[in-house]
Order: sequence, then C-alpha cells, then structure tokens
Amino acid sequence: MAPSTELPGNIFFYLIIVGFSAFFVLTIAARLIPFLQAKGAPRFDHLPQRISDFMLIMVGQSKFFRKKYWYSGILHPLIFWGFLVLLIRSLNMLLSGVADPLSLQHLPGGIFNYWRPVMDLFNVAVMVGLAMGAYERFFVKPQRLTLNLDAWRIIGLIFFLMVTDILANSFELDLEAKKEAWSFVAYGVSGIWTGMGLSHNAIGDLHATFWYMHLTILFAFLCYLPYSKHSHVLTVAFNVFFHSRERTGVLQPINIEAMMENAEEGATFGVGKVTDFNWKSLLDFMTCTECGRCQSNCPAYLTDKELSPKDIEHHGRMTLLSKTPTLGSLLKGKPATAGEPLNLVDTMGFDSIWDCVTCGSCMYWCPVCIEHVPEIMDVRRYLVMDEARMPETAQATLMQIEQRGHPWRGTQFSRSDWMQGLDVPLFDGSQEYLLWVGCSGSLSERNIPITQSLARLLLQAGVSFGVLGEEETCCGDPARRLGNEYLFQMQAQQAIEVMKSKNVKKIVTACPHGYNTMRNEYPQFDGKFEVLHHTELLDQLLKAGKLQPKQGIAETIVYHDSCYLARHNDIDSAPRRILESIPQAQVVEMERSRKTTFCCGAGGGHMWVEESKGRHINHARTEEAMGTGAKIVATACPFCIQMFEDGIPALEPDEEKRMRAQDVAELLEAAVSGAVGPPPPATAQGEEVGASL
Amino acid sequence: MPLHIIACVKQVPDPEAPASSFRVDEAAKKVIAAAGVAPVISQFDALAVEAALRIKDAAADTKVTVVSLGPEGARDVIKHSLAMGADEGVLLTDGAFEGDSYTTALALSKAIEKIGDYNLVLCGRQATDWDAGVVGYGIAELLGVASVSLAKAVTIQDGKVVVERVLMEGYDTVEAPLPALVTVSNELGEPRYPKLQQIMMAARKQVTVWGAGDIGFASSGVRANLERLFQPVSEVECEVVEGETPDEAAQKLAQRLRDQKII
Repeated sequence: MAPSTELPGNIFFYLIIVGFSAFFVLTIAARLIPFLQAKGAPRFDHLPQRISDFMLIMVGQSKFFRKKYWYSGILHPLIFWGFLVLLIRSLNMLLSGVADPLSLQHLPGGIFNYWRPVMDLFNVAVMVGLAMGAYERFFVKPQRLTLNLDAWRIIGLIFFLMVTDILANSFELDLEAKKEAWSFVAYGVSGIWTGMGLSHNAIGDLHATFWYMHLTILFAFLCYLPYSKHSHVLTVAFNVFFHSRERTGVLQPINIEAMMENAEEGATFGVGKVTDFNWKSLLDFMTCTECGRCQSNCPAYLTDKELSPKDIEHHGRMTLLSKTPTLGSLLKGKPATAGEPLNLVDTMGFDSIWDCVTCGSCMYWCPVCIEHVPEIMDVRRYLVMDEARMPETAQATLMQIEQRGHPWRGTQFSRSDWMQGLDVPLFDGSQEYLLWVGCSGSLSERNIPITQSLARLLLQAGVSFGVLGEEETCCGDPARRLGNEYLFQMQAQQAIEVMKSKNVKKIVTACPHGYNTMRNEYPQFDGKFEVLHHTELLDQLLKAGKLQPKQGIAETIVYHDSCYLARHNDIDSAPRRILESIPQAQVVEMERSRKTTFCCGAGGGHMWVEESKGRHINHARTEEAMGTGAKIVATACPFCIQMFEDGIPALEPDEEKRMRAQDVAELLEAAVSGAVGPPPPATAQGEEVGASL
Repeated sequence: MPLHIIACVKQVPDPEAPASSFRVDEAAKKVIAAAGVAPVISQFDALAVEAALRIKDAAADTKVTVVSLGPEGARDVIKHSLAMGADEGVLLTDGAFEGDSYTTALALSKAIEKIGDYNLVLCGRQATDWDAGVVGYGIAELLGVASVSLAKAVTIQDGKVVVERVLMEGYDTVEAPLPALVTVSNELGEPRYPKLQQIMMAARKQVTVWGAGDIGFASSGVRANLERLFQPVSEVECEVVEGETPDEAAQKLAQRLRDQKII
C-alpha cells in the first residue's frame, strides 16, 4: 500500500520515478552508442538452447556451484535469488503507488499471500549473503578481489534496501485493518511498534518515510549501477544469453578475402582500438564484476607475468568508457567522447597480450560468461597482422610456417622419416581413417616414438588407416594462436583441399591442438570431417577387445590433462580408462585436473615463444605433478610431453630420482606388447655421426 | 632530393631443409631441387632489403626497387620484398643469364643501369646457396661505384653513405660518396615481418620482367669453370684404446699416436 495515490500526496512518487528514470534512460542511451556502432557478432542462433543455458547459468547460478569458491557459491545465489524474488515487491510498490486496486494484494484467491513469506525469507537471506560478502572483503581479503569503495557502496545500498523494505512492510501491517502473518519477518518487527504504543498517525508517517526511502534507494541504486562495477546487474542477463556456444578453444575467422577486395583505408586486421571490438566483447567489459576468478586461475598470472585476464577486462572497460559520450555532453547535443581515446595496446600491455597461452581457464571460471581469450587474441591479431609487432621467437615461428610449412625450425627429419620400418600405407581413400601425424608427431624428436607407438597399436588392432606422408602440412593451429589469421587460413585451406581431394572422412590424431583445429575450426572453411583424438580411438579399441594389455606397469602414474583436450573439448575419461586398463598401474590425480587442469605452458603458440618473465609455467606444472609422488606423468599431447621433458630435469637434477614422461599410447603399447621402459631415441634418416656441415 | 635505393635479392634452395633432402647430380654438376622443399629468399639479401627499408623509415620519400635474377619462380622473393615494404620489383629471367658469378654481376649491373637514377645499391654479403660472395663487388666494379662490405648498419648522412662495417673485434665506420654499393651482413639484425596490408598491396603490384635483350646483355662467357660438384662422404672410424687403469690407457694411446706418426 502506498502512502498516497492522489494529488498532491503522490507527487513525490512520480517525481522520484520520472526523475531517476529519465537520468537512467539517458545514461544508458549514451552508453549504448558505442554498442550500436560496434561490429556484429552472430549470437542469435539456437534460441531454444540459449534459453535453457540462460535458465541454468543465470537463473540457476550453475557456475557458482563449484567447490573451489563454495563460499561465494552460497552468498551470491542468496543475494541474486533474493533480487529476483523481491522484484515482485518492487513491482507491487510501483503498482500500488499508481492506484491501490492495481496492487498485487488484490489478485484473485489471495495468491499474493503465498509469495509474501518467500519475499520476507529472502529479505533475511540477502542480508546474510551481504554479511558473508562483507566478512570476506573485510577480514579474509582474498587476493583475487579488487578491494575498493565501490563494493562497499553496493553492499551498503543493498543492505539499506532490505532494511527499508522490512521496516516499510512492518509499518504497513500495523496500518492494515486485519494484520496477517504471511510476511512473517515484517510481522515480527511490527510487534515492536505495537509494543511501543505508537499512534496510528505516527505509524502512518513512519510507513511513508520508509516507503519513500525504499523507493528512492531503489531508483538511486538503478542510476548508480552504470557508474559502478556492479553494472553487471544490468548487463549479465544479456551477456549470459548471448554467450558463445562454441567450444572455448575456437577462435573466429576474419573475412580477409572480403577485406582484400574492398581495400578501405584505415581498415585494420584484428582489434587495435576498442571501437574495433564486436558488441559482445564490449558487453563483456561492462559485465566484469572484478571477482578475479579468471586471474586466480590464469597460468600466466600465477607465474608472475604481466597478464591478468581481469585487468584485460578492466582496461577494456576503461578504454570503452573513454569512447563513450558522457551524459553531460549528450545533453548539450554534442555527443563527443571525453578526451583522447586510450591506446588499447599500451593500456592492456604488449606483454599481457603475448603472455596468454589460450588455456581457457579464465573462461571456465568466469561466472558471467566473459570471453577473455578471443578478446586477447583479437588484439594479438592486430599486433601481428597490422603492426607486425611480436616477440622475435613468434616472428621466427611464423616465418618458418610460411616458408617451410611447419613450425619446427632446425628439424632434420622429413615428414615420412618416422615411417621407416613400419608397414603404414599412404592414405588413398580406401581406408577408414586418416592418421593425421601432425608437425610435432613427425618432426619433433620426442614425439616420433609416440607416433610410432600409435601406428603399431593401430596396425595390431587391425584399424584401417593411412597417412598423408610428405603431403601433410601444418594444420595452421600455431599460426592462428600466434595471431596470424591470414597465414592460418592459407594453411587450413591447403590442408582441407588435400584431404578433400583424397576423400578423407575420418581423422584420428595424437595432437589435441590439431584435433581442436580440425574438428572445431575447419568447418569455418567448409572442412567438415569426423575427428577423433588418439585416446578416444584407443579407448574404443580396448572396449572392443582389439587391444589387450597383458604386461603390467607396476608404477604410480599421474595423468596430466591437456587444456585443449580436457577443458576445450571435454575429453578426460578416455585417457584415464586407457591407463586404468594397464595391469598393476596405479593412477593418481593432481588437484588441478580435468576441466580445472593447469596448463603445461605451451598453448597459444608458446611452444615456440619465450615467456616474458616470472617462473616458467611448465616448471610450475611439473612441480605439481612431482608432488603426487608419481613415477610417471602420462600425457596425451605432443606439447605437454615436451614441456614435462624440459621441466623434469630442470627440477630434479638427480637422474635416478626423476619422474618419467610418457604418452598414453607409449604406455599402452608397453602393456600390450611387453616393451617396458623409456623409448629409444629417434634418428633422422641419413643422419651420420659428424655429418653437420 | 628523394633517395632511390636498389636492392638485389636472390632466391635460393632452402638452406634449412633437412640434410637428408639435399642431393647433387654429379654428372650434370647441378643441385637437385628437393621435392616438396620450397625455395626461399637468401637471408643476407632479405637483410639488404631491411637495410633499405630502415633508410626509408627515416626518410619516407625514399624509393626502394628490388631486382632479382633467376627463374620465373623468383618472382616470389620479389613479392616478399614488396610485402616488406619495397616499392618496385624487377625480375631478370632468361636462359642467357646462366653462367657464373661474373655473368650474374654483369646482368644485374646492366639492369641497374637501365633502372638508372639510383643513389645506393644494397646486396647481401653472399648468397646462402653457393656462398661465393663476389657478385655484389662485381656489380660495383662494373658500375664504377665505391663498395663497402659487411655492413651492420647503413645510413645516409649529408649525401654520403655511412656504414658500420663488421670486424672480428668490433666495427669500423666507413663513409663513401654516392652512388655507392654496400653489402649487408647478418649483424644488421632481423628482416621485418610483413604487415598484412603490405602483403595485400604487394600481391596487386606488377613486377617488371626483363630478358637479356631488354637490358642489352651480351654474355662474354664464364670466367669460372665448375670442375666437379659432389657431396663429400665423411667416414668416421673410432677406435677406443682400452686399459686396466686410466694411466695404462693413456700410455697405450700415446704409443698408438706415436706409431701413426701423429706425435
């Protein structure tokens, strides 16, 4: 019930609503301008799935129910669900302020009464949530949080919203003819006023006071939101609804051909200015609540590098606001942007852009569906393609791929050297699978024995497969992750053409990066193949009894999940089943495993690019693996194994005590055929002792 | 006065191809092009282009022309140079250009004369296939200009070319009047990575193609005769001299070396 619904009493009601709403609408209008000018993003697909994702993630708060942040998993849903529940009370306030018959109490059957205890319960629940949040910010002070005044203003405003709500209701109950206990909290509080023996007028005045206070705080809060980091309240519903439904390892193409045809002046590749981002990225910047989960799980940040995904979003927001007209300028009719636009690369930091290993941990942990990696990669693309500014090693690798069709500079192997002595046929369309060996699998010394193990297993199991041999070229993954989208597209199109010309339908590969690229990104260029990772195929063969592990490996084995396998592509059970099929093997886990796996450090092109500073990521992960006490670390990725082969001797100088790094295929072959122990070193064809020129 | 720099670039078989892919045809005295290994720009020549572009960075109205002598496929190295930032490209292709370093220097010098109006010619110190290292200086002789070798830095100051010239212990600073020719060494640094915008523009640029007739080239025969081309086979025989103790092994080794008249 409103204090008054007639003139002149209800003038404050309309003044408050109209005044604040006008301010809010104009602020939002100004904020929307850069969004309307931004590039498009195709996020209107699969509407039914988007709705169900939205219900799960936003309404259901599903991303909060993870053990690592269990505390926030309690406090945030309390506050958020309270917000949803109490929306009804706010609605009722507005309705009753216009005219009493409109208020929800008059709904037929008195159904509003059933909602009243829910709302009162959440009045208290929200305050509990706030108290939990305040405790964390004041006493615990986790490193991931930005401890600023803004957060306290938000906590304060919500707190007073709850207090004025309860008080206004409690006084309202005393004004009603029949006092009902549906709003049980307000009912209890109202007992205090009855006990104090306040006059009816006094209660009416107090009711009006707290009613107007609540209304004012509500609208003031609304108007404050765009200026606060709490603006996620306004944007998160859209951010979740329009979140990327692609797998997290996927980067979107740039239509370079179209840009080549319409060679406009000033058209840039990648994102050099904030206004070159698409609207979804801009929305991400405005939705970041600075919770810091991304930062606390970023392998670069955790090894003392410049990169913090949270800071990327923050800088995105600041540069965006520097290009957003202020309300003042909008009202003057000149929507000019205040001051010089901030340089995106200088603001975010050259090193930050290059530190990213594209592991996707940030995106996994973000509760509001922000897409950090594509945003960082957009700026990386600009640096590489538009300004040609990159670390020397990145430049050398890109030149290498362009000139020689693979990233492994200095290799003395040819793409078919590994096949010596093996009866592996060339793919001619008659076989079921193309075994995509990959650049690492054929040219990198540590990986050749893995390819050979895999080939022997497939031959033993009677799998119909063939290889491309010398016709195989780089799938393009390193080029794309290093920011050279043009080079990537050339590589991808070449590979797709070769495979289509040979009528390839199914591909199996031992490289999660090649797997990710061919399965999830080649469709962007009309390359649609059925792609399996080698652990998936080996798992199938084991299930079908085509491979029988008889020889035991009586060792403790810790399995390291490759980011591109487990986090980006949900493959984490098949490799474990393979290891568990090995007799006598004891498989142990690291804490950061499966979708929460910690990167080996080689993603994002960093297999070839030096780290900017801080601790080596691969050392951190090797240390974690060694901490399990396992004798063997098992991997399913050519990059991961090389990272461990580098980290293990660096951390354990005593050869006798060292952990061994082996691919799952090598371990399975040892169990199946009985050859136990580290693989023999690979030799290049025709390499003679002392043959170097 | 805007500068005009001419850079000479050569396309060579990839020096970083796996050693196992390198074969020579002894009878024909030719290198067999390795299947599936694409040729590349000679690395020192890429640096010559880089040196030219650094001068252009400092004086934007500088014009850079690249010239290459080779087969039709050498167009690729011209395109690469254009993508780096060079302005024009000339391809010299003709069976008549086959010969030795002198033939090459003669053809290039004739082309440079035809292009004309140049202030500076930049070459790599040697090509990364034959590593003869004489074409650059040959061109300078034929053009009648001063040449400075092994540059790690090249700048134009007061109408002269100033070169930091690599020595074993450091570098000399050498000045020469223009026009001049400078050969560039790897100490110059890294050739720049092409920006996509420039790759696109380079793709659209026309490369001028000249044959022997276009530049008034008449071969006077080769001055160097290739006697034999072969891959030496290194055989290593390693005999380990044993002994009960390290001292005894050392004694035995010393005796063997003396027997073989090595010591």
